[in-house]
Amino acid sequence: MTDRPSILIPIRVLEGESVPEGVPDLLAHAHVVLLGYHVIPEQTAPGQAQMQFEERATNRLDEYEKIFEEAGATVERRLVFTHDGQKTIDRTIHEHDCMAVLVPNATGVVEDVLVAVRGTVGVDRLARVVAGVFGAMGASITLYHVAENDETDEDIGTLLDGMVDRLGDLGIDASTIETRVERAQDPLDAITDAAEAFDVVVMGETDPSLATFVFGMPADQVADRFLGPVLVVQREPTPNEETD
Amino acid sequence: MAEQPVDVEPEGVNVAGEAPIEEPEAVTDDTTVYDDDVELERTIGLVGGLAIGIGTMIGAGIFVFPGLAANNAGLAATLSFAIGGIVALLVALPTSELATAMPRSGGGYYFISRGMGTAYGAIVGLGLWLGLMFAAAFYLVGLGHYASAVFAELGVALPFSPVIGIGLLFGAALTALSIAGTENTAKIQNVVVGILLVVLTGFLSYGVLDAVGVFGGGTVPEQFFSRGYFPVLTTAALVFTSYLGFAQVATVAGEIKQPGRNLPLAMVGSVLIVTVFYVVTIFVATSAFGADRLGQFGETAMVEVARDFLGLPGAVAILGAGLLATFSSANASILSASRAVYALSRDALLPRKASEVNLRYGTPHVALLAAGGPILALVATGQVELLAEVASFLHLIMYGLMCIALIVLRRRNPEWYSPSYRVPGYPVVPAVGALASFGLIAFMQPASIGIGIVVMIVSYLWYRYYAGDVTLKGDI
Repeated sequence: MTDRPSILIPIRVLEGESVPEGVPDLLAHAHVVLLGYHVIPEQTAPGQAQMQFEERATNRLDEYEKIFEEAGATVERRLVFTHDGQKTIDRTIHEHDCMAVLVPNATGVVEDVLVAVRGTVGVDRLARVVAGVFGAMGASITLYHVAENDETDEDIGTLLDGMVDRLGDLGIDASTIETRVERAQDPLDAITDAAEAFDVVVMGETDPSLATFVFGMPADQVADRFLGPVLVVQREPTPNEETD
Repeated sequence: MAEQPVDVEPEGVNVAGEAPIEEPEAVTDDTTVYDDDVELERTIGLVGGLAIGIGTMIGAGIFVFPGLAANNAGLAATLSFAIGGIVALLVALPTSELATAMPRSGGGYYFISRGMGTAYGAIVGLGLWLGLMFAAAFYLVGLGHYASAVFAELGVALPFSPVIGIGLLFGAALTALSIAGTENTAKIQNVVVGILLVVLTGFLSYGVLDAVGVFGGGTVPEQFFSRGYFPVLTTAALVFTSYLGFAQVATVAGEIKQPGRNLPLAMVGSVLIVTVFYVVTIFVATSAFGADRLGQFGETAMVEVARDFLGLPGAVAILGAGLLATFSSANASILSASRAVYALSRDALLPRKASEVNLRYGTPHVALLAAGGPILALVATGQVELLAEVASFLHLIMYGLMCIALIVLRRRNPEWYSPSYRVPGYPVVPAVGALASFGLIAFMQPASIGIGIVVMIVSYLWYRYYAGDVTLKGDI
């Protein structure tokens, strides 16, 4: 039980977002951190929204909590009234030490999982999430890497073999693991195209850069185009990074 | 990091049978935590807090009062502004301590109701709501003067004075915008304050250099106390409206991140910054024209000062800045007034309905209308000085009582009272702060004092009638 990875599911609980079909089964082996949040305009005090909406939001979260628990997950929940949804999500990830965030989209039975391995997020965390969530499911796992121009086959081999070994250590049957390498120009397009044949995508969070401020985080872009659920694995929290 | 919240079990019900909302379980740097798993996120940082304080204050002191103050006190108006700043600082320090001990929405009202009981709380809370309305009306009339000056500048001759009409128009527009607008108003406020500070710094630096004779102008220093000593104090009472903003930071204390650090910095910082700007502004303005001529220009005297220094571009820049500043002050006051209504309704001193959130826009439409509606009636009077003084009166009562609440809390020293910032110079600073606050009231016009007292009596009677059974006082 201790190996359950914590997965955050943010839900705008009062705006009709709910838990999509298939998601509870997808996370049956995870520790679910259920974050119901409600974003309010700055003219409104958060307490004001709480007075009016707490009961309704709590009822919905009760429902969702039950669904996840029935599917087999352990659940922890929060209801937050906020002016800034992103800050709330980031803080919750930090406080609950979440390994990954789920972008909730509907899915059927999970048979094929695409894991985008990039090296920006520690292979170890990626492996722990994949093994924790899909280990007992018997799904086939495809490790997918989009190579950069200056990367040699040897580099790629080391990266993917390391990942396979790590998954093996965590109890995944090596025969269910495949690897695929692509040499396309744009990793995002490549991942999105490849994802079409899969039920779930697991990918790493990417460092915020100028491009991400303009176009949004790559993980979000993939989630927008790939209509299934995306698990975004978070970077190792740096101990001296105080969120301000 | 969690701090202990006020140990209070609010009790009783009001006439409508509503009980006060329960107090939160804990207060952290990032949230206010209610039982089980409900949290209110804190999202306003230090910059946001400073922008609220400065943005509320700077509109009045620089863009409305210089002419009026110089007319009343001569060159010594500089001293009046300095006195106002010192009184504000004496209150801002104790307020900071209270705010770090009780970082909840409602500011002064919350501290006083928990520290001194429901009756005082009701008088201050209702007074704060009305005081903010008077303040907003005052800023809107100032805005009307600036907008009229724009027409004058454009050479459009109107057969009537458009001051009040424009004030009413903007008052209605602001209320409508705050109800239906979902834009990021706080970000806009930060930008506006930034622009204002840049424009003013440039303009005042030029003015100071000119006043000391760098550009060959130089002015003959006139007698400092040209109108005598007494007007210095009456003027200080009048212009104190320019220092009301720091307490508005406390009204959103429940939304400030790292309240223990950011609340004192935002409150004390904004008072210090605006005091410097005010004193320099008056110095520059009076040395450009002399107090007499400055006084004749009235509310928009600063436009003439800028024209004198920098010609038409200067006048245009200050006109624009004046419009922005009075607009942002009025906006901040309406929003604070709506927060005050929320705090009162949370504690069952006003109907719960008053803080209802609009389902379409997510904004507190009843509270905003309850602030915006009466403001229009006040704007219609067009009485700049009276509006300013009544606003100051109602705030000064709160300031004085906050200082007393601090002394009471320190003496009883209840277990839950553990502020992370402690006022230096206790008990002298809060005691002098209370005396100075009440003392300043004595120098106001009788009419302002009369209206202020009526508001307090009505507030008290409302409390007796509507919520006489409600107890809010903390366990002290």
